[in-house]
Amino acid sequence: MLSYALRTLIRMVLTFFVIVTIVFFATRLSGNAIDFVIGEGMTSDDRDLLITYYELDRPVLSQYFAFLRSFTDGQFGLSFIERRPVAEIVMERIWPSTQLLLSAVGLTLLVSIPLGIAAAIWRKSWIGSAVMVMAFLGYAVPNFVLATLMVLVFSYWLNWLPVVGNGTALHFIMPTVALSGGLIAALTRFTRNAMLDVLGQDFMRTARAKGLPEHTVIVKHGLRNAGITILSVIGLQVAGLAASGSVVIEAIFAWPGIGDLLVTSALRRDYPVLQFGVLTVALAVIVINAVIDLAYAWADPRLRHTLKG
Amino acid sequence: MLRLLLSTALAAGVASGACAQEITVGAANVSSYLDPGRDHSNVGSQFYYNSFDTLIGKNHDTLDTEWIPALATKWELVDPKTMELKLRDGVTFHNGEVMNADDVVFSLNRMYQADFPPYVVRSRDRLSNFVKVEKVDDLTVRIMVEREEPLWETLLNLQQVMIIPEDYTKGLTGDPKVVEHDDFEAFSLAPVGTGPYRVSEFVPGERVVYERFDDFWGDKAPLAKATVQHIPETASRVTALKTGEAQIVTNIAPDQLSLIESDQNLRTVGSATPLFHVMIMNVNHPKLRDPRIRQALSLAIDRDTLNEALWLGKAVVPSTHTLKEYGDLYMPELKTFEYNPEEARALLKEAGYDGSEITFDTHPTYYTNGMLAAQAITEMWKEVGVNGRVNIAEKWSGRAPEMMTRNWSNPMYFADPFGSFGVMWAPNGPSEGEGRFNTDAGYAEIWERFRFSKDVAARKLAYGELMERIKQDPPVLPLYRPFESWAMRKDVTWAPKPGHIPYVLDFRAGAISFASN
Repeated sequence: MLSYALRTLIRMVLTFFVIVTIVFFATRLSGNAIDFVIGEGMTSDDRDLLITYYELDRPVLSQYFAFLRSFTDGQFGLSFIERRPVAEIVMERIWPSTQLLLSAVGLTLLVSIPLGIAAAIWRKSWIGSAVMVMAFLGYAVPNFVLATLMVLVFSYWLNWLPVVGNGTALHFIMPTVALSGGLIAALTRFTRNAMLDVLGQDFMRTARAKGLPEHTVIVKHGLRNAGITILSVIGLQVAGLAASGSVVIEAIFAWPGIGDLLVTSALRRDYPVLQFGVLTVALAVIVINAVIDLAYAWADPRLRHTLKG
Repeated sequence: MLRLLLSTALAAGVASGACAQEITVGAANVSSYLDPGRDHSNVGSQFYYNSFDTLIGKNHDTLDTEWIPALATKWELVDPKTMELKLRDGVTFHNGEVMNADDVVFSLNRMYQADFPPYVVRSRDRLSNFVKVEKVDDLTVRIMVEREEPLWETLLNLQQVMIIPEDYTKGLTGDPKVVEHDDFEAFSLAPVGTGPYRVSEFVPGERVVYERFDDFWGDKAPLAKATVQHIPETASRVTALKTGEAQIVTNIAPDQLSLIESDQNLRTVGSATPLFHVMIMNVNHPKLRDPRIRQALSLAIDRDTLNEALWLGKAVVPSTHTLKEYGDLYMPELKTFEYNPEEARALLKEAGYDGSEITFDTHPTYYTNGMLAAQAITEMWKEVGVNGRVNIAEKWSGRAPEMMTRNWSNPMYFADPFGSFGVMWAPNGPSEGEGRFNTDAGYAEIWERFRFSKDVAARKLAYGELMERIKQDPPVLPLYRPFESWAMRKDVTWAPKPGHIPYVLDFRAGAISFASN
C-alpha cells in the first residue's frame, strides 16, 4: 500500500511539472499581454515606459525561468493588474470555491445514492420510473438555466433567498443546488446501474439465504460492491467541477471564487494570475484523482492485493 | 399590550434608522487598485471622490463652473507663472496624520515631477505645463508652471492631483524616509486620503467598503457605511435590488429600464454621461488616405437613428466634439459632423472608391451597444455603396497599421475641451502616438492657442479652427453621449450630479438621502 501511495505521488509530481510548462506556454499563445495590460490610446514613449516597468519585454524563456523560480518564494510572481503577489490573490478565492464544491458534492452524495438504490430496487414500479425521469431531466438542464430559474423564483418573485456572495448559510442554497443538479442526475443513474449489476449476483442470494436483514444485504453486500463504479464517477465529476464547472455559477451569484478570477484574468491577459490559477485547479484535479485512486485500493481488496503482489 | 406595540414600533424605527445609515451598491465593475494619481479609468472614477480631496473644489450641483475652497482656502497668482495657495488648517488624514504643506508638496510633485512610470504617463497628457510645487510654510505652498496657465483651477481640481499623506505612503515599504516605486504600488491597495469616508476594506476587483470618517474637515458624511460590491451579472444586480441585498445598482442597460420601473419599490435615474462613444478612422491606412473617403464614411452614419434604436432616444448626438459641461467653452453652434448620404455617395465617387472592404473593429462587449452600433453602421455604409464588415476582436487594434475604423470612447477627464478632445487629439498625443492621426505645424499652432490663450474668446476661436481641421480631414466621429442608468430602491434618493466627471459614486453630504417613512 505504501509503495502504491509513493508511485501515485511521483506520478502527481511529474504530471504537475508537465502542466506547469504547458500552462506557461499555452497562456502566452492567446496574445501578447502588452496589448491588454498597457491599455489603449497611448503615445509610443509612454507605452515603452510601461512595458519596461511591467517587465513585459523580457524574452519568453527568461520569463519561463523566472516563473519557475517564483515557485520558491511562495509568492508566485506579481499580478500585472493588481500588482500584489499572485499567491495572495488566489488564496482569497480558493476557500469560497472549495466551500461551494464541498457543499455541492455533499448534497450530491446525500441525494443521489439513496435515489439510485431506490431506483434499482423498485426498478419496475413507478418509483423507479419517477427517479429516472427526474435524473434525465436534471441531466438535460444546464446548470446556468437552473440557476437563473431559481434566482427568478426564489429571489426575484418570492424574495426568500439572497443572490449576492457567500455571506451566510442561506447564500449557499441556490448555488449548491445549481451546481449539484447535473451531478445528482448523473450519479443517480450510475448508482442505479451499478446496483442493478450487483443485485443479480449470486452472493446477494447467498447473503439473503443466510438470513441477513434486507438493509444489511443491500448496503453491505450490494452498495459496497457497487462502490467502485460510483467512486470513479464521483472522482471524474468532482475533478470536472473543480476544473471549470463553477465559472458560470460564480458569475451569476457574484461568488468570490476562483472560476470568476480565472475568467477575469484570462480576459485581461493577467498571465501571472491566470497561470497560477490554472495550476491551482490542476493541482486540485490531480489531488482529487490521487485520493480516488487510493480510495479504490481501500474499497477493493482485490486491487490492493494485486498491487502488493 | 400597548406598551409591547410601542416598544416593537420603536425597535423597528431604530432598526430602519440604523439601516438607513448603511447601504450596499451592486457594481458591474470594481477597481483592481485605488490610486487617484495613476488612474483615469471609468471604473476607477466611481471611487475616489468619497475618500480624497483636491486643493480646489468644485460645485458639482451645477453644470456651470464654480470653484470652491477645499483643502486650499485661498489661492492667488503671485506672478503670472506662480500660484500661492493657503492650506486649510486642522485637516487630518484617515490614519490620523495631520495634513500640511509637506503632504501637498509630496502629492503634487509625485505627479509634476513623476518618476514612477504610471504617474509619468498620466502626468504627461494633462499636467505637462506644471513644473513643481514648493513649501513656503506649514500651510502655504507655491505652484510653478512653465507657461502662463489659463486652466489653473481646472487642473488643480483633477482626480490625479488629490492629496495623499507623505509619511504614510513612504512608510509602506522599504525605507520609511525614502519614496520608492513599491510605496506607490502598496498605496494603491491601502489608500488613505482626507475625504469624508475612509476605505475600511478593499478587496481588488470584489469590494470597496467605506466607513464614515468622523474627523473629516467638512460636512459630516451621511452614511455610516457604504459597501460597493462587485455583481457582474445584470440580472443578478437587478435581483439583488429586489431582495434588498443592494440599495443601488450601477450599469443598467436601456432595455432593462422598463422592467425596473414597473416595480413599485424601485426606480431608475440616468443621465447622458459626459463621454463620447466615437468612431475612429485610420488616416494612414492606404485605403483611407483620401480624406473624402473618411468624410463619406462619417456622412453616411445616421446617428439620430442609432440613438432612437439603441438608446431609446435618450443618448445625445452632438454636432461637434463638445459637451455642455464645458461652460463658456460649450460650442453647439459648430456643425462639424452631420448625416448626409447624398454627399457621401458623391464624395465616394469623386474619390474613386473601388468597392474594397472597409472593416469596423469592435470588442464584443466592452461598450454598451458597441457591437449593435457597429452592425448598424456597416448597414448604413451599404446604403451609400460602402462595402463594410464588422470585425469582432477583444484586442485593442487602435495602434495597428491595418486597423481601418473602430469604436473607442473620448471621456471628459475634466470639464474643459482640453479634458476630452484636447487629451485625445493633441499633437503627439495618444491618437497621433498610435499612428492613426497626423498633425502638422499648422495644427500645433492652433492647438497652442486653444490650450494657452488667456482669453476665452480666443480659445473658442481656436477650438473652432481645430474642429474645421477635423471636418476637412476627419480621424474621428463622435457618435453620441451614451445614456447611463442606475437603479435604486424607492426610499433612496441619489442621482449622479451634473458637475462630476463620468461615473462618480458621490456619497458626500447632500448627495444621498433616505425617505423617512
